[in-house]
Amino acid sequence: MINIERIDRSEALRYLAFKGQEIPPETDAYMDECESRILKIITPKFLFKYFPVVRCEDTLSLDGTRLVLEGKDIRSHLEGCTGAVLMAATVGSGTDMLLRQLMIEDMAKAVIADAFMSACIEQVCNDGENIIKNDLAGKYFTWRFSPGYGDFPLDVQKKLLDVLDAPKRIGLCVMGSGLLTPVKSVTAVIGISDAPLPRRVRDCAGCDLRNTCIYRKKGIHCGN
Amino acid sequence: MEINKLLSENEFVYLDGAMGTMLQKSGLETGEMPEILNITHPEIIADIHRQYLSAGSMIVYTNTFGANRLKAEGSGYTPAELISAGVDIARRVCGSEGYAALDIGPLGQLLEPTGSLSFEEAYDIFKEMVIAGADADLIVIETMTDLYEAKAALLAAKENSDLPVIVTMTFEENGRTFTGCSVPAMVLTLEGLGADAVGVNCSLGPKELAPIIEEICKYSHVPVAVKPNAGLPDPVTGLYNVGAEEFGELCSGFADMGVKIFGGCCGTSPEYIAAVISRNKSKKYSPQNVKELSAVCSYADTVIIDQPRVIGERINPTGKKRFKEALRNNDMDYILGQALEQSGAGADILDVNVGLPDIDEKAMMIRTVKALQGVVDLPLQIDSTIPEVIEGALRVYNGKPIVNSVNGEEKSLQNILPVVKKYGAMVIGLTLDEGGIPKKAEDRFAIAKRIMDRAIEIGIPKRDIIIDCLTLTASAEQAGVMETVKALHRVKIELGLKTALGVSNISFGLPNRELINCNFLQMCLAAGLDLPIINPNVPAMLGAVRAYKVLANIDESSVEYIDAYGNSAPAPQNLLSAPTEEASPEGLILAVQRGLKGECGTLTERLLEKFSPMDIVDNMLIPALDKAGADFESGKSFLPQLILSANGAQAAFEVIKSKIGKQDGVSKGKVILATVKGDIHDIGKNIVKVLLENYGFDVIDLGRDVDYQRVADAAMDKEIKLVGLSALMTTTLKSMEETIKLVRSVRPDCKIVVGGAVLTPEYAERIGADYYARDAKATVDAAREVYSAVN
Repeated sequence: MINIERIDRSEALRYLAFKGQEIPPETDAYMDECESRILKIITPKFLFKYFPVVRCEDTLSLDGTRLVLEGKDIRSHLEGCTGAVLMAATVGSGTDMLLRQLMIEDMAKAVIADAFMSACIEQVCNDGENIIKNDLAGKYFTWRFSPGYGDFPLDVQKKLLDVLDAPKRIGLCVMGSGLLTPVKSVTAVIGISDAPLPRRVRDCAGCDLRNTCIYRKKGIHCGN
Repeated sequence: MEINKLLSENEFVYLDGAMGTMLQKSGLETGEMPEILNITHPEIIADIHRQYLSAGSMIVYTNTFGANRLKAEGSGYTPAELISAGVDIARRVCGSEGYAALDIGPLGQLLEPTGSLSFEEAYDIFKEMVIAGADADLIVIETMTDLYEAKAALLAAKENSDLPVIVTMTFEENGRTFTGCSVPAMVLTLEGLGADAVGVNCSLGPKELAPIIEEICKYSHVPVAVKPNAGLPDPVTGLYNVGAEEFGELCSGFADMGVKIFGGCCGTSPEYIAAVISRNKSKKYSPQNVKELSAVCSYADTVIIDQPRVIGERINPTGKKRFKEALRNNDMDYILGQALEQSGAGADILDVNVGLPDIDEKAMMIRTVKALQGVVDLPLQIDSTIPEVIEGALRVYNGKPIVNSVNGEEKSLQNILPVVKKYGAMVIGLTLDEGGIPKKAEDRFAIAKRIMDRAIEIGIPKRDIIIDCLTLTASAEQAGVMETVKALHRVKIELGLKTALGVSNISFGLPNRELINCNFLQMCLAAGLDLPIINPNVPAMLGAVRAYKVLANIDESSVEYIDAYGNSAPAPQNLLSAPTEEASPEGLILAVQRGLKGECGTLTERLLEKFSPMDIVDNMLIPALDKAGADFESGKSFLPQLILSANGAQAAFEVIKSKIGKQDGVSKGKVILATVKGDIHDIGKNIVKVLLENYGFDVIDLGRDVDYQRVADAAMDKEIKLVGLSALMTTTLKSMEETIKLVRSVRPDCKIVVGGAVLTPEYAERIGADYYARDAKATVDAAREVYSAVN
């Protein structure tokens, strides 16, 4: 359903906190090698499902499920939305294996590959989001909001995956600690509305991760 | 009829269809645990079983698919309660009209190495399910996507019950499961472990599954089971696109391939089962035609021994100082590096020997096998003569390996063969016995025959037996060389067994060993050698095998040969060793900064003639790394370049270490590194490791998802002044805090540095760390500060 033929190099460089320094030829060759090795082993998978949103006093849940979306941030994210799409995406467990190999073979390659894999799962999510938008043409959408953003707790992962039947359908699971496996995977909630939604600025000031954000630490931006 | 008889009779067997689909029709909410209905609404479940039995199902699956400890947590019920209720319902409905199959599905968490659940934990969870479901008539393990998990479940079933077991896995259209398991790997592994039937369920519709089922039938010696979905689901409505009649027709087609056991998965209903039965009425079960193949596999790759296949011999400490040191220091990265090198060179199978007199060989073997299968897809050969070591390895191996070896001694036959049989491995038999290695070919042949007879007697199929007629050194026993070749030939022709041979010993004590080795290898290949055990990193040896395959008309149109030698384009890493710097301190510093690995090594070698090792470390390598670090900090370079410099320095350090030996101490001190419990994302920790090592620190790498206690235990070593911990997730910061507390309680004087994406300096202080490292470079700074204070 989703086919990735190239990995967005500028996105990968952003994950490497690249700020326009000169890239030596050896690093460039490493990037080419990493990209082609990743493209050979990925098995991108994407899954989504639409649910009407049920609001009841201060809880927010999805109709027909036992899923309660906790936290003020997801509530404000879905403000004005009548429904929500749950989505899950993964590039497959091959990337975990490749990363383990590269960490033995050459740590520099591992670091580069890690960034390319992150860029790759982002592309899968973007393509997936386009599928959702085509499917629900005429609706209005919020951006992707993932467990762990703001005060939307990570422990919702397990239920979210269960509702999508993600372990069985795309092989995406979660560890007890909330870490998704395969590692290069994403889950997210997209708000759906029949009417245009107020444009929410995605900036650092409104983000609860602003104090711990790895990108801010490096003086760059996460892109959301 | 007895269930065992049903499975072995020449009749079709009919399973049930979907449970989940039926439950959703009766109003189950998405994401709710269906097994709870066994207790709250047993009548709903009983009714579904009844509908399937009336449609003609002979076996119904209990509603216990996810009733495991991990999924049942927080449900208010124990797995035992959910399972015994589920089995009870099915048993009551079946009476004497049908069989209740204890249904065991995946645990919902991934096993190591992608996840954090250990094989042993998975086994325990499945064991609990098997014991709770003891009243069922058989066990089905289904919808597995990880062969390792399927193996844990099958072992748990076989070791804790006498019931027959059917195992089915779930494949994608590319013929692989989500975790990369291939069809032959599934069949070889599971039938070897004693599954009574194997097959496929869920996944796709019958149309898409046809090629996968065909492949299963090609490999399986046990009955084949098929339980497809009702086609493919619509991504929005979730409705499946194949109706009952079409389903019946398509499934019935599988009968012609040799399928014995039929059922339905997602989207199917009693109608679907009835449709298959009615279409099959005119047919009679005739088992699949299986070719007798000798084959081994990892979870992913299958190596069919129908032509010479190379077994890499390098994972073996015999005569290798560096390897022994790696074993003693638990330096797994070194061992894994050996595996990747051989795999890159073209080995088909890797021999694994980790025997040293002063280490716990079993524990080391288990660790090594687990680590190896996390980085290489090649099948492994377990090399030990100690039954406990072999069993330990066979238990945790994710695939079908070779056991190297059994021999003609009674004790060996008695102890090794049953283990080989239990785990379904191939086995190499050495032609020696209580009397040693016979001089004459006919005596070695006789031992080979005896080993074969004993193996077959115990139930090991002939196709899984390999004989090694043993190489003696030509310099000492010149007359024996042809005896080996003769014996090999007879074993191959007269017994029809596969043959293996360690080749390199032949030249021991002679000059130009490679020449002797290559020629001996050619002689043996011509005499019928299937599995040369060689060093694949020596181009001439691998070349001899490739050339033989061309000349013996095995490598058709010389495809493999041309692939190996026809393209002389340089590998990308050659870039890193190309330019030549002059052998000066400045040259080395420059080479380190640019990360030119090969260059760093050769320059260091030459510089060692003029400078002392410490001089090179302190005045060239460390300043070069400092410069690279400073460039990184100031933003002049970015992370990959910093690591490339570290790689360069590493190459220089390796040269220095090999020249002066470890005890002469270029070490700046010992540092423990660990990614905390619950966290498996260890790339950050590994970056730190590379940098620390290249600043001359000895790193004790405890790995990822590390228990608090293991860190504390390792910190008991008084030489350790610094422990580094990393955590990626907010949820695992708690683990970091607990680990710090425990380390503090046993080593109050030891410093702790922490790092990781979600940490802040404030948080680091709050949880009691001494240093907060914003990046890998900062950890090195902390280590230097700690150790300069002590020194």
